[in-house]
Amino acid sequence: MSGFEYIVQQIVNAVSLGSLYALVAVGLSIVFGVLRLTNFAHGDVMMVGAFTTVLLNALGLPFVPAMAAGVVGAALAGFLIERIAYRPVRDAPDVTRLLTSLAVTYILENLGILLFTSSPRNFPLPAILNESWQLSGGAITFTNINLLTIALTFVSLLLLGWFITRTTTGLGMRAAAEDMPAAQLVGLDVNRLIIVAFLVASAYAGIAGVLWAAQAGVVQPQMGFTPLLKAFVAAIIGGFGSIAGALLGGYVLGALEIFIVAFLPSSVSSYRDAIVFSILIAFLLVRPGGLLKPNREIKL
Amino acid sequence: MITLTRRNTLGLGLGAAAAALLTSRTAGAADPIKIGYPANLTGIQASLDGPMLNGAKLAASEINDAGGVLGRPIELVVYDSKSDATTISTVASQLIDSDKVVGIIGFADSDSVLAIGPQVQTAKIPFITPGATSPKLPSQIGDDIFLAAFGDNVQAAVGAEFALNKLKAKTCYLLTDIGAEYTTLLSDYFVSAFEHGGGKILERDTYKTGDKTFTAQIAKLKAMPEKPDFIFSSSLAEEIGLILKQLRQAGITLPVVGGDGYDSPLLIEVGGEAANDTYFTTHAFVGEGASPKVKAFSEAYKKATGKEPENAFAPLGYDTVKLMADAIKRAGEPDPAKIRDALAATSGLEGVTGTITYRPGVSVPDKSVSVIGVKDGKLFLADEAAPSFVAEP
Repeated sequence: MSGFEYIVQQIVNAVSLGSLYALVAVGLSIVFGVLRLTNFAHGDVMMVGAFTTVLLNALGLPFVPAMAAGVVGAALAGFLIERIAYRPVRDAPDVTRLLTSLAVTYILENLGILLFTSSPRNFPLPAILNESWQLSGGAITFTNINLLTIALTFVSLLLLGWFITRTTTGLGMRAAAEDMPAAQLVGLDVNRLIIVAFLVASAYAGIAGVLWAAQAGVVQPQMGFTPLLKAFVAAIIGGFGSIAGALLGGYVLGALEIFIVAFLPSSVSSYRDAIVFSILIAFLLVRPGGLLKPNREIKL
Repeated sequence: MITLTRRNTLGLGLGAAAAALLTSRTAGAADPIKIGYPANLTGIQASLDGPMLNGAKLAASEINDAGGVLGRPIELVVYDSKSDATTISTVASQLIDSDKVVGIIGFADSDSVLAIGPQVQTAKIPFITPGATSPKLPSQIGDDIFLAAFGDNVQAAVGAEFALNKLKAKTCYLLTDIGAEYTTLLSDYFVSAFEHGGGKILERDTYKTGDKTFTAQIAKLKAMPEKPDFIFSSSLAEEIGLILKQLRQAGITLPVVGGDGYDSPLLIEVGGEAANDTYFTTHAFVGEGASPKVKAFSEAYKKATGKEPENAFAPLGYDTVKLMADAIKRAGEPDPAKIRDALAATSGLEGVTGTITYRPGVSVPDKSVSVIGVKDGKLFLADEAAPSFVAEP
């Protein structure tokens, strides 16, 4: 394997991991953009999507329709969370809303544990997705699930881009994100916009949940925590609340994690997470608003 | 989850108490002897601690059916400690202060034992871990800590000798999960034994418990100028299946060797075809063609739980309850200090996973190690051995 092939392989790895982070971070950012709410339950909505897929698949539904159902299930879960938990506290202080979202996280996670136990269970991936491509005599490899992750990320983000720049509802969402009272004053139905934001964000969580579980090979009720943490970091790197920023942040984080392991000696790379977070802190000191929002302070 | 488990235990205890009442008729003598059992029934350790608890409950009900210990039934007081150090500490206080247990049994991993250790040692309650394998535990915590399993230095040495002699492998790529005490130590012991036997570690790399992507490390392995003969991956059950899958997908077909952290149904469920040509050291072989003693255990386990033992941790849990009961019997009364001394004097106690003898001053038993291999998606007993060289703990 030449040095060039090695670098290409690591870039493939970074793009694949980054896509996953980006997908989760974008969903987190949509909700934050509209509601100024850090939705900790986002990871658990991913879990709902993954479990719906596994259960329907076990009942005999083929993988693709089961996955679609998982995405719908996640969107529905997001809708219910907004309606039941977040709407009553929408005008409450930030701390109240933050704690509400933490509470939702715990409730969903424990509900999952009660229903399915917390033992990890196998995520049944169709054999075709596990197959790998060998380029340049096997020096560069990637699997179909990597390809699917990258492709789904691109397609769904293009759709999102079109939705928020070309449709009335999307434009309304951006208006509400910019200034909620003003949007209300000019006659936008803010309730409807928030519902749409949650549906879209949670559908993203559903897609991300299925892909995450497919990569991990297992599902379990606590599976949402790690992706949430990664997405949170990605969103902060990019500029919290900015969708493009979340996307960029996801890829930056994925690349950092892969390249630290790939290009540093293993005695150093074993401190990977410490290095990543040190870079994050140093970076935030220079650009407190993240990559794309240099002048705006982040408020949680 | 806690309430559910608690209710089960209470039910079991009440049932046992009722049975004892019928036979002995003296109310005082029927008070159960309480043994604490913190179990990581949820979280990362669940696939090991779950079967272990089933085995432990089976032993307890067998002991009670045979009249209990010292004329009294034993009761396992079970709480879910959630694979979480803070919860473990809360559960420990509950067991020691409120439930007043005379001994505690628990855990399949060294980190959990380290979390409960100080409290147990301060309260002077004898503690046996069925599945934790760090030989350092007694020296790290104190003389109330006993292991029912072999030490990691022993299993790592068997793994190293298996690779050198049976796989004829002289060079190794070492991958270590640095997120756990168990995996870190196992790697160190493996390196000592492997290098002592003339093997050479060509390259080392690390990851952390919970990682889902190992592609960066794998690409590094593929780029090595000299190809190793095999991979030693010091990993836990949740990651090893995934590591194997990603290795095979990258076209690496080298044999993979590891420790008893692999011993969970997840290895084959998640790994699938990728799990072939994997070998791991563990406490007993519970699959097809197991020894008569293990077979008898498997049948009783199946009768009690409705399924085959998932891994070697089930018989370990079983053996440990028998070990504790034996010590209580020899102590003559359920007094923690006397039980500890009786435990330390255990000699030639036959169990499903081997014979337990504690040499004077050593709380880690000498037991033989099973090497299990995977072929065509099935487990087989590849070797059973005691190592010729063992690294110091």
